[in-house]
Amino acid sequence: MDFNILIGGPQGGGIDTAANLVGKAVATSGYGVLSVREYHSNIKGRHSYTHMRVMDKQPRSLKYPVNIFVALDPDTIFEHLDDVSEVSTVLYDKTTEDYDLQAARMIMRDTSAKIRRILTENGFETTIRGALGYMKKRGAKLLPIPFSDIATEAVPDGTPSRYYNTIGAAITLAIIGIDRKFADDAISYIFKGKQQVVEENVKVVDASYRFAEDSKVAGKTLPALPTPRKLLLTGNDASALGKLLGGLRFQTYYPITPASDESTTIEEHQNIKWIGKEAENLRKGGVVIVQTEDELSAINMAIGGALTGVRSATATSGPGFSLMAEGLSFAGMDEVPLVVTFYERGGPSTGLPTRNGQSDLLFALNAGHGEYPRIVFSSGTVDECIYDAAKALNYAAKYQMPVIHLIDKNLANTLDLISKVDLDRIKIETVELAKEGDDVKRYDLNTENGVSPYTTMGRNIFWMTGDEHDELGHVTEDSDIRDRMMEKRFKKLETADREIPLEEKAVLIGEKEADITFVTWGSQKGPILDVIEDLKEEGISANLLYLKMFSPFPTEFVKNVLSKASLVIDVESNYTAQAAQMIKLYTGIDIKNKILKYNGRHMTEDEILKSAKEILNKESLMVVLEDGS
Amino acid sequence: MVHNFRNDITVDWCPGCGDFGILTALTSALQELNLGPHDVAVISGIGCSGKTPHYVNAAGAHTLHGRAIPVAVGVKLTNPKLKVIVTGGDGDLMSIGAGHLVAEGRRNSGITVLMYDNAVYGLTKGQAAPTLKLGVQTKSLARPNIYDAINPIMLAISTGYSFVARGFSFEIAHLKNIIKQAVMFPGSSFIDILQPCPTYNNINTMDWYKKRVYKLDDDKTWDPVVTENDPKAEEKYNRAIEKSFEWGDRIPIGIFYVNKKIPPFTERLKQYVDNYESVPPAAQDVKSKDGKPIVDPFETFKDKIIV
Repeated sequence: MDFNILIGGPQGGGIDTAANLVGKAVATSGYGVLSVREYHSNIKGRHSYTHMRVMDKQPRSLKYPVNIFVALDPDTIFEHLDDVSEVSTVLYDKTTEDYDLQAARMIMRDTSAKIRRILTENGFETTIRGALGYMKKRGAKLLPIPFSDIATEAVPDGTPSRYYNTIGAAITLAIIGIDRKFADDAISYIFKGKQQVVEENVKVVDASYRFAEDSKVAGKTLPALPTPRKLLLTGNDASALGKLLGGLRFQTYYPITPASDESTTIEEHQNIKWIGKEAENLRKGGVVIVQTEDELSAINMAIGGALTGVRSATATSGPGFSLMAEGLSFAGMDEVPLVVTFYERGGPSTGLPTRNGQSDLLFALNAGHGEYPRIVFSSGTVDECIYDAAKALNYAAKYQMPVIHLIDKNLANTLDLISKVDLDRIKIETVELAKEGDDVKRYDLNTENGVSPYTTMGRNIFWMTGDEHDELGHVTEDSDIRDRMMEKRFKKLETADREIPLEEKAVLIGEKEADITFVTWGSQKGPILDVIEDLKEEGISANLLYLKMFSPFPTEFVKNVLSKASLVIDVESNYTAQAAQMIKLYTGIDIKNKILKYNGRHMTEDEILKSAKEILNKESLMVVLEDGS
Repeated sequence: MVHNFRNDITVDWCPGCGDFGILTALTSALQELNLGPHDVAVISGIGCSGKTPHYVNAAGAHTLHGRAIPVAVGVKLTNPKLKVIVTGGDGDLMSIGAGHLVAEGRRNSGITVLMYDNAVYGLTKGQAAPTLKLGVQTKSLARPNIYDAINPIMLAISTGYSFVARGFSFEIAHLKNIIKQAVMFPGSSFIDILQPCPTYNNINTMDWYKKRVYKLDDDKTWDPVVTENDPKAEEKYNRAIEKSFEWGDRIPIGIFYVNKKIPPFTERLKQYVDNYESVPPAAQDVKSKDGKPIVDPFETFKDKIIV
């Protein structure tokens, strides 16, 4: 079983509810589901959609064309003309056939012009009827849905449009073959506490399933599979959870997409539930989370939190990170254990505020004036976000430096099922505090590994300054001390490089030798692993050099893998192939073949597969991906 | 034993600088309050005022220009037992750090902000700072000041500081007394400290101030304290604001406004954060004896359990 699904409608029109309904019902019946949300920087009205995949196993990637296409409004049809093919069933409201593109004011003007051109060039009128004709020509099956009639039949005195999302989701579930009882359970779960809403929506589900059966599109009911307890988490949620597990007790933030969901998730769960046995007799309390006046305050307040010994962090996105650059430099200079979770979106400037991007890698590596050590690493799956968020706090504590954890928007907004949180994989590492007393040489130069004694305000007297300083933390401009302090600070990076295990920096996934070696970082990991399997079926072997850490950089390992590889393809969601630039900088290896995407949309399995084959067949050196509405 | 809050680090302010008086007032205030060496944190930004933490024998952070308040708030909220003192200039706090000064009024975290108010940027050679009046030309300015001045007292009262006062660096005993009250006050306090810059401000000199300052509490009817259910709360607020505009031949120093009704941020946090008062973040254990997490992921994220 493998269904790719797209559910679209106006922002604020219940798309998330529809996606949750499908997700919950599929998950409880024991099958796998993965989804990503695409939306405009808008509160109500503009086109928004969820791209999902339902499989027997847990999916790792999404794919076009979709099998089930649900248009809750006419804009959705116009926006996704090319996302359907002969594998697709298009569910649409049959009363909207006369709707003209000109009336679709919420479609961006440039997009509207593009749609007009496609329809006109192909000889179709610029209405929904024309658009459906175009989709039919691409091979899609059309399934007109009497949305209003189904809603009115189920809830005679209700407002029909309020139930369109439930209808779309329920017919989707019927087509997949999910037992109706799971859809009913999902309704009760989603509308918990609103008895009337539950009852109405259960009736709507019933009417929708009957419609699917009558229209002969309902799939054979799939057997329910036994399933362990699972969490449905986004990348934002997973990072929040990992931070709590890893001992975070203070987080600051200023609202920004797509980062603030992490902070609000922490806030919603700030009163932690403890593991009875492990937490017995310990001093326990809740997490303090502060919404600050701006990102300048956010990073500096997190620094303040770190000065009392609390595992502290902030989370932001590109524009906010720009404002944090000076604070980051201070944390580097003053050896403050600080974590910045950096959610990347499409830049530059405000850029594509709600869209994906990986264009801030070099910025994360270089932000802040002066030279100072930092750890920069990234996650590629929701599962990884949990463990990496906990590790980030360890790195900061052990090496006394800022740690930047990169998560791209696609991953932040991916909903994934997590069946196991393996606490054995998390060890909370702290450094021993200096002996209580009056004075501590907080910047003691007499260290083997560069890490000086650590202490906190409230425990010892020590000083710190953004100026170059002596061992006590007082301002100095002495030329020798300056040299030794610079060397001491950078020594910590060597220590980190030596101590952090290779698998936390880079991994070669798959066969040692292969026809194609993909190189990537971040959320392309899942789709590439699926592409490797697709290629295998076609007799082409491929593996993946998956990069996680960029500072310190695993130079020898990367050099070793790439120098033996036959065809290397770098896959990134940016224009300038920033990871490839880093590889060249450290190893001298210049990766010529690239698959890049900078239109802000998530990479899908099908487009990577197609481009990889083009590159393998020497039809292209480099491919720029353009899919996604 | 009483802790000596002065250390032996060489002070490099200019001779005659008002900062010396502030440092003396601050360290003697801490001493007279009988605070211990680990009860206090002094946080500063950039400028001459920024050097203060180095001269105080307590944990100190000399941070970035304008950012002392956020750092101080981070310290205070994670370890609310600490007395956290910010030292900053009028440029540091009301120009580059103005957003934080305003936001801290709303937060009211319980920190003490000492504003070294000399109307110039001394360390960068005397440019006009936010309290220099419009049209005034101090000696390193090429032309009279083209900006108008901020009224710091009114700004602090209107943004929510619950203890607002003014001192003068050459009235050390008076200033020390204000600092003592401010440090012990549960809410955030703001003290505007008039302070001559002998090198760059040739207008607002020590003598200029000495001729003009007078103490608010010389007037025995002056009562700036708003208490719970105070019928005169509004009157006291309005009178403090009105008083803040007095400038010229007579300049008032002393306590302008104290509001005991505003709960500090730390009090507000207690409502939402488990054990915040008894076990704030700085006092928490975050791992088991063998270094394992103590957070139950499924119980904590119970609302995210889908199956």
